[in-house]
Amino acid sequence: MTFRTRLLVLFTLAVVAAVGLVEALVLSSTRQAFEGVETQRVDGLVAQFQKEFDRRKQEIVRAVNGIARSDALRSIATSGDYAPYYDAAQDLAAAHGLKLLELAAGDGTLISSAEWPARFGYREEWLTHAEDWPTLGAFLKREDLPDGMALTLVAVSAAGVADRVLYVAGGQELDREFLSTLALPPGMRVLLYRNLEPQFSASALVGDSRIGDAEMVRPLVLRVLADRRATTRILGRGADAETFHALPLPGYEDTLLGVLLIAGSRRELVELEASQRSTGIWVAAGGILMGMALAWWATARVTRPVRQLAASAGRVAAGDWGATVEVASADEIGMLAGAFNRMTHELVEQRQRLVQAERVAAWRELARRLAHELKNPLFPLQITVENMQRAREKYPEQFEEVFREGTATLLAELSNLKQIIGRFSDFAKMPAPEMQPVDFNRLVTETLRLFEAQLEQAHIALNLDLARELRPVPADAEQMTRALRNLILNAIDAMPNGGTLTMRTSALDGRIRLEVSDTGQGLTPEECERLFTPYYTTKTHGTGLGLAIVQSVVSDHGGHISVESEPGKGARFRIDLGG
Amino acid sequence: MRHISFRWLAASSAAVVAAGLAGWAGAATRPRYGGTLRVEVRNPGDSADPPRIGFGMADLTGSFAIAQWDAGRQAVYEASETAVGGRPYLDRVEVELGRPLREQSIDLELGKADVVELGPNELRRPAAGRRVWPSAPVRVVALVFDPRVEDARVREALSLAVDRGAIHRVLLQQQGEISGALLPQWLTGYAFLFAATADIARARALVSGMPAAARSLTLAADDAALRPVAERIALSARDAGLAVTVGSGAADVRLAEIRIVSTDPARALGVVAAALGANPPARAASPEALYAAEKAMLEGFRVVPLFHLPEVYGVSPKVKGGPGVSPLGEWRFEGLWLEGGRP
Repeated sequence: MTFRTRLLVLFTLAVVAAVGLVEALVLSSTRQAFEGVETQRVDGLVAQFQKEFDRRKQEIVRAVNGIARSDALRSIATSGDYAPYYDAAQDLAAAHGLKLLELAAGDGTLISSAEWPARFGYREEWLTHAEDWPTLGAFLKREDLPDGMALTLVAVSAAGVADRVLYVAGGQELDREFLSTLALPPGMRVLLYRNLEPQFSASALVGDSRIGDAEMVRPLVLRVLADRRATTRILGRGADAETFHALPLPGYEDTLLGVLLIAGSRRELVELEASQRSTGIWVAAGGILMGMALAWWATARVTRPVRQLAASAGRVAAGDWGATVEVASADEIGMLAGAFNRMTHELVEQRQRLVQAERVAAWRELARRLAHELKNPLFPLQITVENMQRAREKYPEQFEEVFREGTATLLAELSNLKQIIGRFSDFAKMPAPEMQPVDFNRLVTETLRLFEAQLEQAHIALNLDLARELRPVPADAEQMTRALRNLILNAIDAMPNGGTLTMRTSALDGRIRLEVSDTGQGLTPEECERLFTPYYTTKTHGTGLGLAIVQSVVSDHGGHISVESEPGKGARFRIDLGG
Repeated sequence: MRHISFRWLAASSAAVVAAGLAGWAGAATRPRYGGTLRVEVRNPGDSADPPRIGFGMADLTGSFAIAQWDAGRQAVYEASETAVGGRPYLDRVEVELGRPLREQSIDLELGKADVVELGPNELRRPAAGRRVWPSAPVRVVALVFDPRVEDARVREALSLAVDRGAIHRVLLQQQGEISGALLPQWLTGYAFLFAATADIARARALVSGMPAAARSLTLAADDAALRPVAERIALSARDAGLAVTVGSGAADVRLAEIRIVSTDPARALGVVAAALGANPPARAASPEALYAAEKAMLEGFRVVPLFHLPEVYGVSPKVKGGPGVSPLGEWRFEGLWLEGGRP
């Protein structure tokens, strides 16, 4: 990943994070505001519903009081026999819009029951217990009806006629029908849980219920039944969610007979929030896209000098030491570019100084070598000439013999000098290789044949490991032979006490590898590093040009030579050619 | 002409007797021919042919001849010129079928009907000028168990749970009489020997420990007018631990109504037994034998007699003569005429 890409990703992430945070904050605050408004709306609706509920209670009280004051009831009360009136409650209930109506004598004996006509004669003793029915108003009561237990909203009035008292207990069953008659604001529905059974029962839930309502409101109902106080919860998901206000409905004897669930739809709120969220997302997406575009432009602008710097550094790495970058600003990037330019300038200067120093050092080394190489044969020459001069002056009778020996020595030393000069001349006159396909297995075998006697004399065993199918590689056979000779001589010199010389050839991905290993005393890392430097040698004899010539030959063939060695573990020279 | 005079004399005599029975002072009106007597009954009359035997319309046969039979709606009888005892005063009798008791009573008040059946509820409502023709208690109201109700404890429990007194006092407005016998007291004289009192505690003890399914019964009433009675029985049964559901159609228990067709107790019992699907008892030669036969029929509580009720008719003041109903509830319309007559 490029620096610009990384920078772009970072900028983009920063923009997304910033926009997301702002979006979340805006949505959160908006949601809180909407929730507040929604809460006020639903509270208003609940209050409206409760007023409606109270109004219905008052209606029931009025109807019951009306029946208690009616002439019909007076007729019943004054009648000596209540039997003919066992069905009077049905007509009275219908006339006063009540579903439930019971007329009872002063001792609580039922005269007539609209909801259960067959119950005449049964005792409703609870009617005789309270004396303050008018103050109680309408209240909830568990009522046994032909179809089973029901939750009712009833009021009681005691009508006194002459010395007789008749009780009028009338009301409505709190069922689906009753709830459906309540005027509800739009978006609101009412459910009633009738707490008539010991366990929660789905069938006890009536009203404008939908599939799954029972399970949904079950925890809320159980909570209200346990706490006996109003609770509000949001139930459902998404646009179908509703705010449920659960109101406990205590009964006549303070038992909790029901839970009224007033549900206000959250659809408007949810849709408003969804719209807000949708708009927010589009705005955020636009902001992010704009941010990304700006980031693209900014990163391009910021990274251009860096890329130029990187390109220049690449050129320097490739050898173009004079590469520079344009300093276009005065900021850190500009300072970096300036520093880079100064660095490359310094590098060029230092390289020139180094080349010059190396050149001087090479000349010095050459001079030292020359001096050393020439000094060794010159010294015997000088001694020999001085001996011959001394013999001629002091011992003329021995001069002839001294002269013969002296001239032999002089000739030998001159021959030695000539040989030294020849080597220098060879190094200097290294010709360009004449390339032709060379079978290196054969080259190795033939070269080794020249050293068989020498190896035997030095007690060195030969280990020959040649690749079976080694393709010919373009090379100058003569120069490569010279290089091999130098490496073999070097190995023999490294094993004065004998050892093993290993010659190995191998094919590697279109190249060939030639290895010459000895089991000599090995080299230190520093020696390995300087081994191919001209005139450097670890031996007491030699010009130090052997391995330099090998490297020169390999290099002229486009190959590569390396050495692996550790002190005491021998050395391995590796030549890779071809490819 | 002779037979007309005979009829007139007979009617006059009957009118005098009726005046004595019903306390009606207007019977001295001279009878006259003509007019249509409009009768309403709750009997659906949905058979293909008009009834030939039994009570009500079948009683008209002889004095009147069927002229029109619209099953389930109306039957029209024309006076028979060849009737034994002479031609009836009325030209025709139109019978509206399947009329609910409440509507019959209203029609009587509005003058749309001349003779209607009266149920207990209608009877207690005052109506100006209305006359009432009651028969003797000739309708046996009884619980009849289906053979699939095999547990006698359940049957006995239900019989003990029924509060006959409350039903008689309130729902039946004290019409007829409470009874534990099939044949009424006025016919046999021993009906009081059959127990007819409720015993909720014993009923509850009988069914306690029984599974709920075994304590559940369905109860149907043959006549819609008996449905309140069935409802009360169901309520009483609940107090005894039985779950009785009132419905219609095939049920475990039927609230049946059987007519006493004869003043001969033995024959009456035989007919009742036949109506209940029981084996007719052997001809009883003595009251003791009859009692034993009836007791045997009631053993096992497959049939539980509850009440003996009369047939009660409400009659328009315009209807003269009569009473048009015999003690056994038979229609005797051949001696009736209408005030002012009708074309």
